[in-house]
Amino acid sequence: MKLTSEQVNDIALESRLLLTEQELAGATRYINNFLDMLDRFKELDLKDVEPFSFAEAIACPLRDDKVIAFADTEAILHESAHVDGSYFKVPRIMEGE
Amino acid sequence: MPELTFTPVIGIEIHIRLKSDSKLFCSCSTNTDAAPNTNICPVCMGLPGTLPHLNHRVVEQGMLAGFALNCGIRPKSLFFRKSYFYPDLPKGHQISQCDLPITTSGYIEVHDAEGKLKKIRVHHLHLEEDVGSLHHSASDGRLEGADTSYVDYNRSGTPLAEIVSEPDVASAAEAVEYVMTLRRRVIYSGASDVELEKGMMRFDANVSMKCSDGRWGHKVEVKNMNSFKALERAIEYEIKRQKKIMLQGGEVMQETRHWNDAKGVTSASRVKEFYRKFIVEPDLPPLFISQEWIDRVAARMPEMPDVRANRYVNEWGVPQEVADVLTDDKNLADYFEACVKAGANPVRAAHWVRTEVLRVLNERGQKIQDFAMRPEVLAEVVKRVDDGKLSTTQGKEVFDHMAANNSSLDEAISALGITEGGVAGSALNEIIARVISENPDVLEEIRSGKDKKGKKLKFLQGLVMKETKGQAKPQEVAEAVAEAVK
Amino acid sequence: MELYELNLSDAIQGLKDKKFSASELFASCKARIDKLEPEIHAFITRTDSTPPAETSGLLAGIPTVLKDNLCTKGLRTTAASKILGEWRPPYDATAWAKLKEAGAVLMGKVNMDEFAMGNTCGNSAFGPTRNPNDLSRVPGGSSGGSAAAVSAGYVPFSLGSDTGGSIRQPASFCGVYGLKPTYGMVSRYGLISYGSSLDQIGPFARTVKDLQLVMSVISGHDPMDSSSFRDKDHDFTHREDVSVKGKRVALVKEFQSFTLDAPIAEAMAKTRKVLEEEGAEIVEVSLPVVARYAVACYYALAMSEAHTNLERYDGVRLGYTVKDAAGIKEMFERVRSYGFGPEVKSRIIAGTCLTEPTRCEEYYVAATKVRTLIAQEFTRAFGECDFILQPASPSMPWKIGENDEDELKGYEADLYTLPVNLAGLPGLSFFAGYAGNLPVGLQLIGPRWSDPALLDTGVILERHLGSPKIANGGK
Repeated sequence: MKLTSEQVNDIALESRLLLTEQELAGATRYINNFLDMLDRFKELDLKDVEPFSFAEAIACPLRDDKVIAFADTEAILHESAHVDGSYFKVPRIMEGE
Repeated sequence: MPELTFTPVIGIEIHIRLKSDSKLFCSCSTNTDAAPNTNICPVCMGLPGTLPHLNHRVVEQGMLAGFALNCGIRPKSLFFRKSYFYPDLPKGHQISQCDLPITTSGYIEVHDAEGKLKKIRVHHLHLEEDVGSLHHSASDGRLEGADTSYVDYNRSGTPLAEIVSEPDVASAAEAVEYVMTLRRRVIYSGASDVELEKGMMRFDANVSMKCSDGRWGHKVEVKNMNSFKALERAIEYEIKRQKKIMLQGGEVMQETRHWNDAKGVTSASRVKEFYRKFIVEPDLPPLFISQEWIDRVAARMPEMPDVRANRYVNEWGVPQEVADVLTDDKNLADYFEACVKAGANPVRAAHWVRTEVLRVLNERGQKIQDFAMRPEVLAEVVKRVDDGKLSTTQGKEVFDHMAANNSSLDEAISALGITEGGVAGSALNEIIARVISENPDVLEEIRSGKDKKGKKLKFLQGLVMKETKGQAKPQEVAEAVAEAVK
Repeated sequence: MELYELNLSDAIQGLKDKKFSASELFASCKARIDKLEPEIHAFITRTDSTPPAETSGLLAGIPTVLKDNLCTKGLRTTAASKILGEWRPPYDATAWAKLKEAGAVLMGKVNMDEFAMGNTCGNSAFGPTRNPNDLSRVPGGSSGGSAAAVSAGYVPFSLGSDTGGSIRQPASFCGVYGLKPTYGMVSRYGLISYGSSLDQIGPFARTVKDLQLVMSVISGHDPMDSSSFRDKDHDFTHREDVSVKGKRVALVKEFQSFTLDAPIAEAMAKTRKVLEEEGAEIVEVSLPVVARYAVACYYALAMSEAHTNLERYDGVRLGYTVKDAAGIKEMFERVRSYGFGPEVKSRIIAGTCLTEPTRCEEYYVAATKVRTLIAQEFTRAFGECDFILQPASPSMPWKIGENDEDELKGYEADLYTLPVNLAGLPGLSFFAGYAGNLPVGLQLIGPRWSDPALLDTGVILERHLGSPKIANGGK
């Protein structure tokens, strides 16, 4: 076992996930099996291999600096249950968050 | 036992808003003063399925800002995803070039404690997107209970340059000079207006202390400084705090502390910091910048303010202090140089801009761009004073009249009743005073009654006529000189 | 013959010749859906309550469905997750905008594995979809709804997405054709991301010619997608006079010892024979890195990207949320813990774990390097051959509920499809006959941008192996 269930729970919390005991047991087993699978990488000599970024040497396309206002900002706001007036109203951000 | 000495070791991270019309990865306006949540779109709201699309101009602004810091440009840079959860960060991660930035290293020169120039090395500058803004009161200004926050995403996705220095800063004063010089240079480059009151420049500092006994305290990251003053006070506070701990034999903890400007203290943040490795942003291919593009943008770089100030001092004899003031604002320096180009004496023009023009602007709360008087017109005023056609006092009167009434030079002169084409009144008096002061022995002879035939008086009158280049009425000169020597 | 049975090109021709009207075609498809949907359950959202307005264009009046991870303006889009709630996107995915522009008529949004994570279409917040060929079996996934809808005769074509086989495997399970295009061929704008560097939108249809038609509409550069390629012109015109004479079709050496279900092995032999008879040369290529490392590499990268793609679901701006949380952290935790299903949660945790600074080099960075080796291996292989022939899946569609316990074993089943995504290649899943009432599908892979050539070859294969029939729920 590479990771204990406490460690997996910490990672889950970092991802803002609260796991039930059953979910935690499942996730712990899953991750440990998965990491075992990834250990195969150690058989390879990757020292001088470039990390893959794109399948071809494609350059990032660039956009002209032109303002085009989005026509329907109301439709965006309409989808949130937290809109209050023209703001998104969310619970207080407490210290430690 | 020798007294322990402490050397602060300080690195500074600066975020600067780059100037552009549209956001970094979408076409929304960067106007953050707009009504809340109006400059938003699916991309900067991080809606599912949306993808970033890089702004060409922001890349060039990044290059210009890089040049201003003496940085090189990397031919290939990459974007990454920097993850954390916060309601003002729509995607839950920030797109940032943190790991392979657009620039290589550079430097900014500041004066050390002995007044000598030293280099603060800039590790790099990278591009990234800003987050939305959080308010803790409602749009009508009414303060809610402390249980809610309000999010405005207008700022989300606006372009930032993050500038990371090496830990070369040794004092709060150096820190302030570093950020001020840096700000001025970036403004000059055109990359940003860096309007401080609009929050376009924000600071974090990493402070640690080296003790003469060999101890080296842990690095403390101090966040939340939004002004030069706050940066200075926070660093001073932190230096004092860490020194005290080390003097008592304690150990400075590695932590993040927040500057509380109202209380003037830093306090430990209870936020657990996750130092997560960034993954490559899969939605943006690498940014390639050709040498040809670099050259094209570099050609747009104006002369930097310190270089410009040195030129005023060395070539024109302008005092350093005046040169610094003039070059603080690129437009002001441009105005001054236009005056010189129009024929004004550089030193006199420098003083005129430094005192008279800035006085009027300050009174009005205006910028030089808003000043109606053309630099050629000011040059003419300076020349006439120089030529003695106007006394300094008259010159200032004319200047004020033109500035106040938006009138032409001729209108001002006639409105003030100054005789056209001749030297009279206060201008004549100034010349007489100068001539007399330059010939104290002659004055002495006249006053002691030795000049019975009036030859010496005539001699002075002749000098004055010569100084006025024959532009004064001889009768007036004769009377005025006679009056002046009494 | 009922109108719903028409394939895409025949439906287009029939409408053009005024043999029937668009509303008759619509009514026929709707009746077909009404009849089979209670058993198949392909839809998440139906939009066929009222006949459509008249449309024009290449696909005028042609009914279609979209996988529910493609954004549709003003229409609920769920990615089969509770976390998206009743979200109605304020914009259209580019691929759908192009179909709409060409006149296609949307019958609804169809089922999938949540956020495209799965290969059964059973991992959906809306319950499983059933295979129209055998209702006790899975349709494959994650684009199971898109495959099932075409297979069952709901619509002549549909769109899905493929991150590691999510078009090709369900196409083979349901007995339809499916194309995973070259990465960069079809705009991803408006596709709810799973693994961004692997995701690609593609079509399902009941003939190869129909795939060509759809590709001619949805392919091409889109400024909204920085990974979509410009300066690439692709001719998807259908031609009958195509040939594979002299073409080298490769089998992968390392795969030869792997076990396949008997009907799949038989279909491989039959297809090989067809190609040889058509003048192709069968060769062997070696993909040792692919065979041993592709599965691990794929999941490491997919999960690393996925967990960042899923960070945006926090309940603030859209979808499922809670209103009574005491603090923001509590709100995020409650929204995400309830909103994501177990498989998605596992993958988020795995992705977070792999990119933690202590493990990043060992796993995430290593995987990006292995990916380079895999892409290089394919480049080398395509120096020795024109296409690679292999299964889309080692197994025939299994019973619903089977294979659910061991996720990683399920992952190994994706070995034949996911290397294609790692290298950004195109892959065609084609129908190769029936084994009883179950269809058998295989896969043909080509180098980047060979999509038109792959489809040309598909035309030949279809001629010899036959076209699939519309499935009737195994009856």
